Amino acid sequence: MGMKGGGGGGGMGSACYVYPGTPATPGRVTPDVTFRRGIYMNGSMTFDDGNSVPIWGFTDLDAGQGQMDGMGGGSFPSPAIRVTEGQIVHTELTVGMMWMHTIHHHGIEPSTENDGVGHLSWDVTGGTYTYQWQPKHAGTYFYHCHTNTPLHAEMGMYGGLIVDPKPTPGDPAGTKRAFYNGPIYDAEAIWVADEIDPAFHSLPWYAGTCGGDVGLNNLNPQYFIITGVDGANSALTHPGVAVTMPLGQTLLARYICAGFHPQKIDFGGLTVSVVASDGRPLPAAWQTQAIEAHSAERYDCIIKPTSRGTWTVTVQFLHWRTGAVMGTARTRINVI
Amino acid sequence: MERRGFLKAGTAGFASLMAGTGLLSWSPRSQAATISKTYYVTAGTQTMPDGVSVYVKGFSDSAADLNVPATPIICQEGDTLSITVINRLSVTHNLVIGGLKAGDPPLASTGDIAAGGSKTLTYTIPTGKAGSYLFYDNKTSYNVLLGLHGGLAIMPAGKTDELYSGSPKFKENKQLFWIFNDIDPVLNRAVQQGTAIPTNLTPRYFTINGQTSLPPGAVGFDDPTRDAMANPMTKLEGLVGDRTLVRMLNAGMCSHAVHTHANHMEWLTDRGTVRPQVWKKDTLYLRNHLGKIDAIFPFEAPPDAYPPVTHGHFPMHLHDEMSQTAGGGMYMFGAMTEIIYK
Ligand SMILES: [Cu+2]
Ligand SMILES: [Cu+2]
Repeated sequence: MGMKGGGGGGGMGSACYVYPGTPATPGRVTPDVTFRRGIYMNGSMTFDDGNSVPIWGFTDLDAGQGQMDGMGGGSFPSPAIRVTEGQIVHTELTVGMMWMHTIHHHGIEPSTENDGVGHLSWDVTGGTYTYQWQPKHAGTYFYHCHTNTPLHAEMGMYGGLIVDPKPTPGDPAGTKRAFYNGPIYDAEAIWVADEIDPAFHSLPWYAGTCGGDVGLNNLNPQYFIITGVDGANSALTHPGVAVTMPLGQTLLARYICAGFHPQKIDFGGLTVSVVASDGRPLPAAWQTQAIEAHSAERYDCIIKPTSRGTWTVTVQFLHWRTGAVMGTARTRINVI
Repeated sequence: MERRGFLKAGTAGFASLMAGTGLLSWSPRSQAATISKTYYVTAGTQTMPDGVSVYVKGFSDSAADLNVPATPIICQEGDTLSITVINRLSVTHNLVIGGLKAGDPPLASTGDIAAGGSKTLTYTIPTGKAGSYLFYDNKTSYNVLLGLHGGLAIMPAGKTDELYSGSPKFKENKQLFWIFNDIDPVLNRAVQQGTAIPTNLTPRYFTINGQTSLPPGAVGFDDPTRDAMANPMTKLEGLVGDRTLVRMLNAGMCSHAVHTHANHMEWLTDRGTVRPQVWKKDTLYLRNHLGKIDAIFPFEAPPDAYPPVTHGHFPMHLHDEMSQTAGGGMYMFGAMTEIIYK
């Protein structure tokens, strides 16, 4: 049978079809860069209407965040992982014995052991596993938990993952490119568009794993967010989401479709040049004013406004069956 | 009520699928041929991973079988298809071969087949129709959702390794279908009982080639007749370099995000139209309402492994994670298969 449980203690409950493990990393070497992640299961997000939902995520242990923070959780989205192509990276994940989680670096393609898929390797619990990987392609990725994923990703267990290119020879120091020898940009936005169904946010981490209908087939979102900020109003002006840039600069907008339903992002009349998707340069840039995307797709958009002004970027969230617009999230590009 | 030919899905009939490599095997011919196939419209029940029995219908290999999806057909441009459909049920059915591109009329149709009757569809395939097709029943809007669907691969004449003439190449005989479906038993029950057809559906089961994945520890785990992770018709298994063509067809009601681990896919077509350039994608947007995508899984060594590896086990799963559940829970009992580097 698949009944495994895993650890004990309050909140553990019983989980099925989980594969606890924290083995040594095969072929472990000294890395070029290390990210030390814990988890939090007690965060929250407050929306523009005053309501809030519980949020889970990953913490940055090196920044003093806890591995099971009891005081209100960590940031949402989880702290970004930013590396340079060719670096050997360690992502250390520490999880208490009461829970199980993994980190899957979405779009990064490492060995089975380092892919963070519980049933093909292990779910981390009661210790630390170090994911070892070496990104070969610059671009936009994200990382997320791959344990009981319909719940854990919806709860917020994701963060941005950016692979910067190696410097292009001859570039002045500080030059930023989307990929090796790719377009140069000055300003950057990371727009992680996601939808939230509060009904999911009261479930325990193992919900549904032993059977029973806990509604994980039916995501009915009520809130629509960009990079952890309510897209109803707050994201229009939130400095971590909305962009303010001088005329003449070039913006790289990294759009990550982090929800489970399809989306359509519209740039408010601006024409963008899509130069890469899913961490791979396109053979030729694609000029467009809107992008239709589905869960986990990423599009890297170069935007070079030719006049001062304000453009409203709108993400529509489309029901996966009916195609109906369930809600929108908006932010702005202000060119000054 | 439709009681005739009440069968269990996934039992008989599977043997034919297990012959050979499991992949669509194909030997090109210099001469056009007539490809004859007989399907029986049958009905019965399929047991979902949570034990719930769901009424389904299929285009089956015999009157005693219940095949969901139908045994696929592979042929080449210039061939003549002769498909006979024998309706074993008590309501009218049909079989149409969908058009190549979105909005195209069907390639061919049997027309209505009355209860107990049969019809033969004959269609000579012109040049320019190479590609991937869903054949299905469009007598009603929902028959396709009940299981009345299957895959048709039309090869460019004389070719073994191209999707269409001049396409990026895959390895000979390395091609298969991923046919996705979404099941709300409320619909299936209404059809079975002859009650009003519901319109506001909420799917509870999600299949790839008629099966769900079954994780380690589950009853049926690793049984190719039950587990989509183990079915040779579905799983991607190969050595480094075994570039495999995947013909993705969406028979279901939901749009899906098809996500491979280990390698990005080379995206060749969307809804039958050849993409202007080949993008490398780890996630592809497969539309509902008969959406389809052709892509090559290149079977390159996973690029970001350190130390490098050439062996491993990875998932292909839909990233709209509701589709990874059964009956409202049971993560990992949904539309997922395995990618195996031997
Ligand atoms: Cu988790
Ligand atoms: Cu993912």
